[in-house]
Amino acid sequence: MGALGKPIILMVTMYLFLKFVLPNIPGSAPLPSSLIFLYLLLTVSGIVIYETLSGESKDAFWGPMQGFLTGEKIGGLQALRYGVLILFPLLVGWQTYGSTATSDLPPTEGRTIHPAPPGEYTGLSNPVPKTPDNIMQGKGFYAAFCSPCHGGNFDGKGPAARGFNPPPANFADPTTIAMLQESYLFWRIKKGGVGLPIEGAPWRSAMPRWEVELPDEWIWKIIMGEYDGAHQSPRTWE
Amino acid sequence: MKPAGQMMKQVLRGGSAVIASLIIGGASLTFAQESVAVRAALVTGGLPLDDPNAAAWSSVSPASFPMSPQVHWPNRIQEVTVKDVAVRALYDGKQVVFLLEYADPTQDPDDGAALEFMVGDKKAHFAHGQPMLQVEGGPVNIWFWKNKTGKAVDMSAKGFGTLKPQAHQDVNAKGAYSNGTWKVVFSRNLSTDHPEEDVQITPGQFISIAFAVWDGRKDAAGELVEKGSQKAVSSWWYFRADAPPDYSSYMYAAVAIALAWGFQFVLIRKLKKGQ
Repeated sequence: MGALGKPIILMVTMYLFLKFVLPNIPGSAPLPSSLIFLYLLLTVSGIVIYETLSGESKDAFWGPMQGFLTGEKIGGLQALRYGVLILFPLLVGWQTYGSTATSDLPPTEGRTIHPAPPGEYTGLSNPVPKTPDNIMQGKGFYAAFCSPCHGGNFDGKGPAARGFNPPPANFADPTTIAMLQESYLFWRIKKGGVGLPIEGAPWRSAMPRWEVELPDEWIWKIIMGEYDGAHQSPRTWE
Repeated sequence: MKPAGQMMKQVLRGGSAVIASLIIGGASLTFAQESVAVRAALVTGGLPLDDPNAAAWSSVSPASFPMSPQVHWPNRIQEVTVKDVAVRALYDGKQVVFLLEYADPTQDPDDGAALEFMVGDKKAHFAHGQPMLQVEGGPVNIWFWKNKTGKAVDMSAKGFGTLKPQAHQDVNAKGAYSNGTWKVVFSRNLSTDHPEEDVQITPGQFISIAFAVWDGRKDAAGELVEKGSQKAVSSWWYFRADAPPDYSSYMYAAVAIALAWGFQFVLIRKLKKGQ
């Protein structure tokens, strides 16, 4: 079985790598099972080509397999042989069923949570001086216009939040405003849900387009109040 | 040895029963909490088209959706009566019928409810299909029922201020109130002659659906609290009329098994001959 040991170890290692290691590399994502299947198929082809390059390695590779499938007096392996011969067609059948059965699940819509803003909304700095008075005013505006959904505690759990999908952003969560620049918030508050690009699924967001109701200065103050209230700081590139 | 072995078996059996029930229970619990789709089952013996209390409804499990006050555009409202709606649906080869059920402590003439659908392939914003700045959206079809009139209005909208009744009215509705609960049925043919303004329902296809409810109560000054854009709304969810059963994947699997078996047979025969 020596000649078969290495290919088996290689296949298992490959599978573990594709399934558990690759998705954890930054910027990567879990691989769909069809892709894993394809990669493993390529690996098998590679192994077969490599092992059958010379007559010697060919015999060493096929010999044990032939013995396992057709040899006599192989003892306990006999049971394993029948197991393989029964399981292999079943596995093929199962795989076929899985890939042809119609799904009962609604279409999945990948939504980019923080899509790129239009060019004119990158790198703007807050023109309102950061004074206690302005922060206080910002919090007042926040309480009046934003807190019904985003919550008095800046946690996205306002009384009007429950029916909305996606849910209102939780500003206390470090993956929301803490990783965004003030300029980005200015864009999102001004244009609201309908201002999102297609990957942001604009048809789902209940965020109002505040530019039609609030002056820019109020929006900048709200941003200030939001960061202060949620105990977060805007992201900077310094 | 024997008693110990038997006990072990019992423990294993009991254990797997507990695990199985946990999985099944857990799965159904998650489903009850997070409905994402209303499913209409195919029925053959006639639909409860104008009967919100028909026995047929008890065999359908409801999908439940949370509601929010409409805060997206003025005029807003900060608090609404209805917090959830339970939705059921059935269809036959020709028609579809929805049952919308929700708690409302009082029956008022201005109580109302509506279903909203995306129409065609273009996405539409859930707020009456209001224009999106970077995406070209489509229209929405709204089926609106009001207690006072006791019937449905088939409407279209593509943006604020564009909502209007259609020239062709295709929807029927009927409400029944008892014990603090409204049950409203909406029915329509699966397809209509006006695909540019009416949602067309194809079994097996998921369609975006949203809900709205108005509690027609009045405040101390005699003014309606919930009216027009001041209502309870939901986000987009999905609706699907179940596709007729399709057994073709079983056939494909059987063919694949036969092929794999044949491959093995030929392979082993060849190998044996080679020896």
